[in-house]
Amino acid sequence: MIITQIHQLDMAKGRRQVSQMSEFPLFSGSFNRWPKMSTNNNIAQARKLVEQLRIEAGIERIKVSKAAADLMSYCEQHARSDALLVGVPTSENPFKDKKPCILL
Amino acid sequence: MACQGLSKGETVSSLRAESENLKAKLEEERSKLHDVELHQVAEKVEALGQFVMKTRRTLKGHGNKVLCMDWCRDKRRIVSSSQDGKVIVWDAYTTNKEHAVTMPCTWVMACAYAPSGCAIACGGLDNKCSVYPLSLDKNENLSAKKKSVAMHTNYLSSCSFTNSDMQLLTSSGDGTCALWDVESGQLLQSFHGHSADVLSLNLAPSETGNTFVSGGCDKKANVWDMRSGQNIQSFETHESDINCVRYYPSGDAFATGSDDATCRLYDLRADREVAIYSKESIIFGASSVDFSLSGRLLFAGYNDYTINVWDVLKGTRVAILFGHENRVSTVRVSPDGTAFCSGSWDNTLRRWAGYSFRFVYCCIWTL
Repeated sequence: MIITQIHQLDMAKGRRQVSQMSEFPLFSGSFNRWPKMSTNNNIAQARKLVEQLRIEAGIERIKVSKAAADLMSYCEQHARSDALLVGVPTSENPFKDKKPCILL
Repeated sequence: MACQGLSKGETVSSLRAESENLKAKLEEERSKLHDVELHQVAEKVEALGQFVMKTRRTLKGHGNKVLCMDWCRDKRRIVSSSQDGKVIVWDAYTTNKEHAVTMPCTWVMACAYAPSGCAIACGGLDNKCSVYPLSLDKNENLSAKKKSVAMHTNYLSSCSFTNSDMQLLTSSGDGTCALWDVESGQLLQSFHGHSADVLSLNLAPSETGNTFVSGGCDKKANVWDMRSGQNIQSFETHESDINCVRYYPSGDAFATGSDDATCRLYDLRADREVAIYSKESIIFGASSVDFSLSGRLLFAGYNDYTINVWDVLKGTRVAILFGHENRVSTVRVSPDGTAFCSGSWDNTLRRWAGYSFRFVYCCIWTL
């Protein structure tokens, strides 16, 4: 028996069309947004959320200027070995086309 | 059943109020450190010159939409999976097909190569992730040795081996991610926190330890500790589903591609979004992103059939690559960074290579 899943998201997405067109039995009762829960679960959820937020609020952070500088220096350090940035000498390129090379 | 242990004075509304307070505090803490924008700091960096990037090889053979692909660590082989249930292992030099597997389901949305190169993992609408050992004997039927490892209650969206062939990380439409032992099929850890389908995951580069990032239909990108199952950090600035997440090569940041037509960069140590890659002319969702080796370039595949190449530091677009005749579903840079491969709903995969002219010139000049 094939159970079609109900989706609240944009139907044009390939992924959403997937479950509707599937030939494989889907026994899942899960939905894209969780269904309404009982009060007990509400409390448990709320408590979990508070704990999660406490953890997130408590982590150590650095300034964006420092983080940006580190990202930049990583790029600089590795730029020379990045073939998609600087290219690869034709002699070492296993994918090269067999044409005479033009010197810049 | 009685209410489970409410502490004195604790009610649902007081908990909600506290969570609102904490959210506000979180925003405040993050803003305090927001002293500058990434592209401002990057103003002094040399601009990239004109890009010349071409399709070097086109891999034809899938009978239907290519949904996912992965490189082997030998930098030569790739595995790709498609809507019709076929999973193919190719040699990217010669474009020869080395292995082919027919899955018992359609829409194989996830595939991954094992670090050893001796196995592949794949799954999709069957809600499972299966591992197929690859044999040297081309005539051997791979399906005979198939091992079902992961079991979810909804479709498998993404899978990845950890640093060995022994553990598999999966994400699913059931809203969870999970870590499995390949040999026994045992669930080692599950990761709960998303409130909708999880569409993508990516493991942190090995130097930075046991974490991974996941993105999903709840517009959130979550960073997880693999050992404890704890959600360490969460980012929610996208306006629509996050289709793909990928770590920056240093492991300090990650990029996301979303249906809101933007790609964004989140820095883990600054704990915030530090760049948005978007243009008014780009209105279709980004399905897949990947960084070049140095992290300077971000390749993003879009649903308007193009691949945009972004300058990660300056936030500008440096090239648009045309060639595919339908949505680009997956983009992956090779392990040595010499090429990248894209898969599309036009049933083909393309391998691209090229570079920035001006940059070459500058390097020669300073030597």
